[in-house]
Amino acid sequence: MTDSPDTRRSFLKTWIAGAGACLLLAACAPQDSASEQAAEVALDFSAQAEAGAVAYATNCAACHGAELEGTILGPLLIGQSFVQRWGTQTPALLLGNIQSNMPPGGAGNMTDEDYLNIVAHMLAMNGVDSVSSALTRASDFVIAENISRIVALRRPPEPPAPQGLTVAGNTEDFVPFTPLTAEMLRDPDPADWPMHRRNFFGHSYSPLDEINTENVANLNLEWVWNMHEGDSEPAPLVYGGIVYLINPGNVIQALDGKTGELIWEHWAGPANRQDMRNIAMYNDKIIQATTDARLVALDARTGEQVWETVIADNSKGFANSSGPIVADGMVISGLAGCARYIPEDCFVSAYDADNGELLWQFETIAEAGQPGGDTWGGLDDLFRAGGETWITGSYDPELRLTYWGTAQQKPWVPVSRHMTINDVGLFTNATIAVNVDSGELDWYFQHVPAEALDLDEVFERVLIDRGEEKFVYSIGKHGILWKNDRVTGEFSGFTETVFQNTFTHIDPETGAVTYREDIQNAQLDEWTSACPSSAGGKDWHSMTYHPPSGLIVAPLSQTCLENAAREVALVQGGGGLAASRKFFEMPGTDGNLGKVGAYHADTLEEVWAHEQRASLHTGTISTAGGLVFVGDLDRRFKAFDVNTGEILWETRLGTSVQGHPVSFAIDGKQYIAVTTALGGTSPRTVPGVIATEITYPRWGNAIYVFSLPEGLN
Amino acid sequence: MPARSLAWILSAVLLAAPLLVSAQTENFRARLSPMPTTPQTVDSITGEGEVLLSLEGNMLTVSGTFEGMSTVATVAHLHNGPPAQPGPAVHQLVVTAATGGELSGEIELTDEQVDALRANSLYVQIHSEGNPPGELRGWIFPRSQ
Repeated sequence: MTDSPDTRRSFLKTWIAGAGACLLLAACAPQDSASEQAAEVALDFSAQAEAGAVAYATNCAACHGAELEGTILGPLLIGQSFVQRWGTQTPALLLGNIQSNMPPGGAGNMTDEDYLNIVAHMLAMNGVDSVSSALTRASDFVIAENISRIVALRRPPEPPAPQGLTVAGNTEDFVPFTPLTAEMLRDPDPADWPMHRRNFFGHSYSPLDEINTENVANLNLEWVWNMHEGDSEPAPLVYGGIVYLINPGNVIQALDGKTGELIWEHWAGPANRQDMRNIAMYNDKIIQATTDARLVALDARTGEQVWETVIADNSKGFANSSGPIVADGMVISGLAGCARYIPEDCFVSAYDADNGELLWQFETIAEAGQPGGDTWGGLDDLFRAGGETWITGSYDPELRLTYWGTAQQKPWVPVSRHMTINDVGLFTNATIAVNVDSGELDWYFQHVPAEALDLDEVFERVLIDRGEEKFVYSIGKHGILWKNDRVTGEFSGFTETVFQNTFTHIDPETGAVTYREDIQNAQLDEWTSACPSSAGGKDWHSMTYHPPSGLIVAPLSQTCLENAAREVALVQGGGGLAASRKFFEMPGTDGNLGKVGAYHADTLEEVWAHEQRASLHTGTISTAGGLVFVGDLDRRFKAFDVNTGEILWETRLGTSVQGHPVSFAIDGKQYIAVTTALGGTSPRTVPGVIATEITYPRWGNAIYVFSLPEGLN
Repeated sequence: MPARSLAWILSAVLLAAPLLVSAQTENFRARLSPMPTTPQTVDSITGEGEVLLSLEGNMLTVSGTFEGMSTVATVAHLHNGPPAQPGPAVHQLVVTAATGGELSGEIELTDEQVDALRANSLYVQIHSEGNPPGELRGWIFPRSQ
């Protein structure tokens, strides 16, 4: 049964009537009555905020900081970031979001009044100063309109954020520039790493072999560059000896790959501390998605802005955390932030790389009357949410298909979204193959229909040819390595890379999964225990394909969770994620959260595995030198023998190693680069509460570049 | 049969007896780690430990240590549930009433419980004053020696 807007209004009327009754009682009841004190508190915004400060300290400060300043476990809730996200919204929506999603471990003894008080505290801390009446569940004023000076009331004035070019320069003063054509992108020069995972197929493989199993132990640090602070999971690009580096806050830098010298820096805005994983390059342009869902093209030589376009309306919650891929002159972008109940849905979209003009959009949510529209349990289109494409897709130029993973339906648990385990919700939690010329869906394969535990199957699609056969491989949060024919989408096989107990059966012929019965029937506020956790058997850290050995080497994670659905009302602007979660070690792993697993592309058999206590926080890359590189939370950056899994070299960096390693060459000399970085969601939070003994500095975003000393190469 | 041959066979049997018993002993281990936790509870659900178990016939010998719990241990149990899925307590263990110490037990398992043990479907759980539902937990898996 669903909660209609009418019943919702009825509830509010009842609540308001109840509150009114409390006021009447307050006038005649004894002064020491607890209920009267509560009613008095509810009369005044500032008293409400004061009570909220206490409730906040008890329930929220552990993650979001005593002063709402954010910590490694939760984002900041004060200042520009908060106002950008919530300034245009109402207290009622903020309350609904918090009550549906926070605290992550469950509401415990928190009352509705506690939640209201916490919202008042947050608003007061953010400078809301023209409200005197107590907040109610129905408070619908626009938050920003009640802040006379947004940050100035509580914090020292901040200098205006930089915008545009902050350091001017020209790469041609360092190296000659040759436009990066579509043809060059199809088969990149061995010296370059010109896109996120180096080639359209997403192999994260470098054909360079100067650094190899025999000499990798001699790797030395060549140079280091400190990056801007903030959440960061960066993948550098390298083209023609220039390193293009995405920093937090939508800042891009161009560095000389040989010396680490800064050539130019550009701020596309907003100047926040938010994460963007990767950028793209095409012709003479660097193309970035921004955290507020825009696309910006810069001149690769000078950093000057060439064009800009809006992907989606950020004020409605849409955002990007990963950049585009450029397929034959088309900039193809995903989209995130699609959990709200609003008329607009998530999509993949394509733009002309020359001018940013929109070419097509493919919506990942099937609406009523459309193909797949009958898979949403009859839910009104307004309440069909999710299907984010928050990890960059891959591309097959011959088939003219771009491959993307889609995230699951929102909220996370079927009962929260007023659906059942049979309402599969196309085209969520699937591989979608979209024709790049028409924007039309060519095929889809839904790996986990009606996903129920925040285990999305959204991550990179790796395209591999084995003989004449063309496959697409992926691993989602369930840790299942899926193999599909990438021409037809037909299921070709699977293997479980880590322990999973969400499914009692996976059909070896079709790949159809059967959820455990208690997961199928999970009700509101019922705890369900499952492995892997929402940190994923695998997460955003991408895997590599090493063509010489036929091995896929993946960075994996071994934790479990208890999950309980929360109630979400079907109201416009509502929605969210809506589950309480607790985390624990995966049984049978001896406490090893991190696993590097190597699987043969033909048989899917595990060839070797390395397990360790520290979780892994970079993608894996492989090289023709027979090496695999990966970094971890415990500041270690390691090189493995790709054939055996033997650790051949490791070093320890300034803070957690996070991002995507790359390899490149300048003047015939090979380099290995990797970033250290902070921030992130479940992949950081879960190890943070399980492997508490692992410590690292809470700052230190940087790029480190290694090479062999002269004479040892 | 000549007496000398009989004596030889008897001594061979006697010599082999410990080996036969040893071959029938199955060894298991559980790593104890904190119960499901969140950023809010990570400082109040703490500790670690190790439990070694040996099975001879249906007799299970349990011997373990733990340390670093947030509050004093109150009771420890053997539970029945597949990996990562909580289930009912089936036997009680002896546990030191402290934040660290030892736990032990000599338990006769039913045939079904022996099957559960071999299927990784038994686990150890220590409860504490601060965490009555449990503070440390570890599933039991075979070990090579």
